[in-house]
Amino acid sequence: MWPLGRWRPGVAFFISSFLISISATGIIFIFLIVESFPIFQHEGLGFLSGSEWYPGEVYGALPMIYGTGIVTFIAVSFALPLALGSAVITSEVLSRPTRLVIKMMMELLAGIPGVVYGLLGITLLTTAVKNTFNLIDGNSFFTAGILLSIMILPTVMTLSEDALRSVPKEYRDQALALGLNRSETIFHAVLPGAIKGIAGAVLLGIGRAMGETISVMLVIGSLDRIPQPFYNIFTTGQTITSKLGREGAEALGVGYHWNALAGLGLILFLAVMGITFIGNSIVGPLSGRGINTKRKQKKR
Amino acid sequence: MRLKIGFLYSLILLSEIVLLPLSSLGAEKATIKMAGSTTVLPVATKAAGKFMAVHPSINITINPGGSGVGVKSLGNGLVDIGMISRHITDEEIKNFPKIDFNVHVIGRDAVACVISSEIYNAGVKKLSREQIQKIYTGEINNWKEVGGPDKRIFVIDKEAHRGTRHVFMAYIFGDENARAKGANLISGSNNEEQTKIALSDTAIGMLSHAWINKDVKGVGIEVKGSVIEPSIKNIQNGSYPISRNLSLITDGELAGFAKEFIQYILSPEGQKIVETSGYVAIR
Amino acid sequence: MRRDLKEVIFFSACIITTVTAISLLFIILSAILVRGLPAINLEFLTTESKEFGQNGGILYQTMGTFILIGMAGILAFPIALGSAVYQTEYLSLSLRGTADLLVYALNAVPTIIFGLFGYMFFGVFLKLGVSWLTGSFILAIMVLPTVLVSIKEAIESIPFKYLEAGLALGLTQERLVRAVIIPQSIHGMVTGLLLGLARAAGETAAIMFTATTFSGVLLPASFREPVTSLQTHILILAQEAINPRALTNAWGAALVLVALIMLMSLGSMLIRATITHEAER
Repeated sequence: MWPLGRWRPGVAFFISSFLISISATGIIFIFLIVESFPIFQHEGLGFLSGSEWYPGEVYGALPMIYGTGIVTFIAVSFALPLALGSAVITSEVLSRPTRLVIKMMMELLAGIPGVVYGLLGITLLTTAVKNTFNLIDGNSFFTAGILLSIMILPTVMTLSEDALRSVPKEYRDQALALGLNRSETIFHAVLPGAIKGIAGAVLLGIGRAMGETISVMLVIGSLDRIPQPFYNIFTTGQTITSKLGREGAEALGVGYHWNALAGLGLILFLAVMGITFIGNSIVGPLSGRGINTKRKQKKR
Repeated sequence: MRLKIGFLYSLILLSEIVLLPLSSLGAEKATIKMAGSTTVLPVATKAAGKFMAVHPSINITINPGGSGVGVKSLGNGLVDIGMISRHITDEEIKNFPKIDFNVHVIGRDAVACVISSEIYNAGVKKLSREQIQKIYTGEINNWKEVGGPDKRIFVIDKEAHRGTRHVFMAYIFGDENARAKGANLISGSNNEEQTKIALSDTAIGMLSHAWINKDVKGVGIEVKGSVIEPSIKNIQNGSYPISRNLSLITDGELAGFAKEFIQYILSPEGQKIVETSGYVAIR
Repeated sequence: MRRDLKEVIFFSACIITTVTAISLLFIILSAILVRGLPAINLEFLTTESKEFGQNGGILYQTMGTFILIGMAGILAFPIALGSAVYQTEYLSLSLRGTADLLVYALNAVPTIIFGLFGYMFFGVFLKLGVSWLTGSFILAIMVLPTVLVSIKEAIESIPFKYLEAGLALGLTQERLVRAVIIPQSIHGMVTGLLLGLARAAGETAAIMFTATTFSGVLLPASFREPVTSLQTHILILAQEAINPRALTNAWGAALVLVALIMLMSLGSMLIRATITHEAER
């Protein structure tokens, strides 16, 4: 219903707000493409494959891409078992009031700002990691990954729990009637039904982990280097976000350095958008679960 | 509910759009914006505090970020005064053809090669230029190779645009943009680097000498057999090899409150602030 | 026997993970409390910071955070409301899914990218410079999806009989919006705004080089001045984690910020939990 012919102020206002809301992402996308274009012209594909980054000389994004990948991987590896285990207990075992309390706590945990996680990381976690693994320094991919895993835990847990609970009760009843015990019921009846939702939860968690800046920036060590050997996660490194956070203020707006940072931003943008898009498609974009970690109580 | 809610909000939306250009025009209360080197920051902050006490109508805002941020912010027209602890590079001049960089030197400082107190107390009191060079390229990675305990060296480098790094690398490698392949960690401001070195017991790094304290020790630089300590005296007599000017930069000729503020820092009272911050006054 | 063993192992594993997850929350909260409380006193909350944040309080940092998020809320709210109404009442059904995906996409944009974009667009292009207004615009775009979705959900949960009643009275679509939809979704506006403000208050990356400054600012006298904020104050103090006084103040500021955010989240949860529609009582 395109309200042509009745362009009252109210409707005009609704339309203009709507256009702002839906075009913002596209404008940011175009902005990143335009601002990063010179670096792709200048460095070609070497921008993606180069492993050296020296402002004014050469810009290679690979160490940052690697860092974002490995830190996200660590974060998900730690967050997923915790999230799944507690989602199973919350959805299959606990009573309704307890469940609501746990979900409320998860929501509170999700509200703690990144900079406070960074403060926790820099004061407590780096020291703990350094002493536990007898390292020369506590700043590392591993430290950043652990910090991120705590940060994405509420997202993954809440959405996984939603997925488990969306499996119809009859599935469980039938499995139990067939003589399966409770863990077998969960494995053979509940989890297969919820697997898509859980996958969506993980993807949205990944999207969040990749985009987090401050806490990672404070504990990663900011060294643009792929470790030797590449799986050595106990060394310092750099992620795309920590690079942008570190060098953004210095490079803003001018020269290849800025174009290169915009290029990093574009890579991050595309990765996060792609993953979140798939995640939202699975979890169901109409439910709003990707945004506010809550359930809609009633449908019209 | 006959209120014209839609109309009301149209007005709000419209006012939001109008707000943008208006806000950039109006409100020219006397504000001096500054940004840049964290080495110059303490001087600027203290001086600004005293200056504002005398001139209550003037507001001075100061942001850290490093010398590179100082140059870029001035170049982009975001600040009135940039703070730098190095010279302006040719590339920076090329990037901002419209800006007429005007440098006002306010003091002198030394960049010290600093190490963790544990290593200093274990006997490493001096390093030569070649030794520091090898540590930063990764050829030397254990303190015992330079007369210290058998411990791996934790090499701390700085963000590329930082004034301290430019000056340090220009002396050690002869190239202000030298690459340090032996680095284990990159830090930013003086405070951050000082913290990282103090928290470690095997670290080496570079700092303005004003940041040296009981946890972070400045080693002497060995030049032709004699050891020169990073001290005020050795900066004053010019014998310490890694020293630099601390400057404020502006676009073109000075005018208005910014001029008054820089004149204040260059006055005897301002120069006293430079000295109490741990630097050498120039007047 | 083996099946029973599996059952025990599975549930023990699940319980261990649950306990770990919950104790993480308690560890984090108690760490913030234990380290932050010693810093908190009336003087800390009501004086300005001195000597690079090592001494003095966080009065202007707190006010700066309020200014940033307050203006962001004012800027974001009407757009969120208008868009929510349009998406639920005017937009053709076939386009609603796409519109939703675009809104979710905006929500997923990494905040540091809002910072880079906002700096160039508002700061340089619109010449607002490094100022609190730049920061508020950036935060407004950032929280727009949160507020929007909340209002949209509230509108969608309005009982259908309300709309039927309105339509039966012969109301036009626009009248329906004014007389039924907006008044009946006020709880969604409040919760959405609270959630949005909470999210904005926790954001650092988007404002750290666009809106805030480290020292010299008390309260902004114009749109073009930067402010100090709790978030960036914590960030800068965290980087000098060795200095005990600076660190205590950082924890104090963190406690205040977390308390602020939790109050807003709890508020939105309470409103969400208590709201029921008249027609369903």
